[in-house]
Amino acid sequence: MIDTLCDQAKEEDLVVACLYCDYRVQQDQTTTNMMGAILKQLVGRGGIPEDIREAFQEAKKVVGGTRPLLEDQMRMLKIAIASFSQVFICIDALDECLPKNLLELLESLRDISRESPKTRIFLTGRPHVKEAIQRYFAKAIVIPISPNQHDIRNYLEMRLDRDDEPEAMNNDLRADIVRSILGNMSDMCVCVSPLSTMYTY
Amino acid sequence: MAQTINTNAVTYGDGNINCPNINNSYNTNIYQSDEDAQIMRWLSPLEPGNRHDSVRTGRFNGVRDWLLETRQWREWRGGEDGVDKVVLFCSGNPGVGKTYLR
Repeated sequence: MIDTLCDQAKEEDLVVACLYCDYRVQQDQTTTNMMGAILKQLVGRGGIPEDIREAFQEAKKVVGGTRPLLEDQMRMLKIAIASFSQVFICIDALDECLPKNLLELLESLRDISRESPKTRIFLTGRPHVKEAIQRYFAKAIVIPISPNQHDIRNYLEMRLDRDDEPEAMNNDLRADIVRSILGNMSDMCVCVSPLSTMYTY
Repeated sequence: MAQTINTNAVTYGDGNINCPNINNSYNTNIYQSDEDAQIMRWLSPLEPGNRHDSVRTGRFNGVRDWLLETRQWREWRGGEDGVDKVVLFCSGNPGVGKTYLR
């Protein structure tokens, strides 16, 4: 999805920034750090804007240095976003944010979208974060994603093609594997283990 | 001073310890100077680009192309200014492949 947007970005003056929330680094995924990570992606290519360079120099003057505050990040981010014709922000696995960070993150995103109405925000997460999103974006477009047979079949075929013991495989066994996994699909909410490498996140 | 400012800024793999170190077109930052690199670490210790490399190599063609064909995607992607179509939320339980949408 991000790559699709990036391909289009090459032709237009738009830019894509992404974030992957991860419960394993929850403590570090503060709203401030997440906004900073988006900002990094916007300014990384075209040279660092002077306002950011100055803010960094100011922070260095304090003994030990100071980290940017959320309000600093938001100010710098809004300036950076305004320099592009359009910015796409993609955030994966919102449910892996700490609850307090999630609300603050959504509030910050709403703040950005009010300042730059062209900004588009793509979010993924478990169904329960929908309510939180709709508190800040009442008209958010929601698309439910569920595993479908077509995707699973494609994936199984790919994995079977890459089987590292081809001599242990024949067409009958191959057909059996595909048939039995697809046959069990209707009973599953979460995919069975052979698919776990595809559906880890 | 310049050395002390980022002592707490650890570069995380964002859960991607084994992610392949490949180059691609996605937000690859080439810093002009040491100061630029310091500023980047100061802005945030998070490095989402690393995780993206891992996702794109773990994905294979043919999955989830349908999203790009939906009316909702087109409305969001080509939306006029305004708050109505700002957010597109793909909702699903763990393991359904949200991360691997393309």
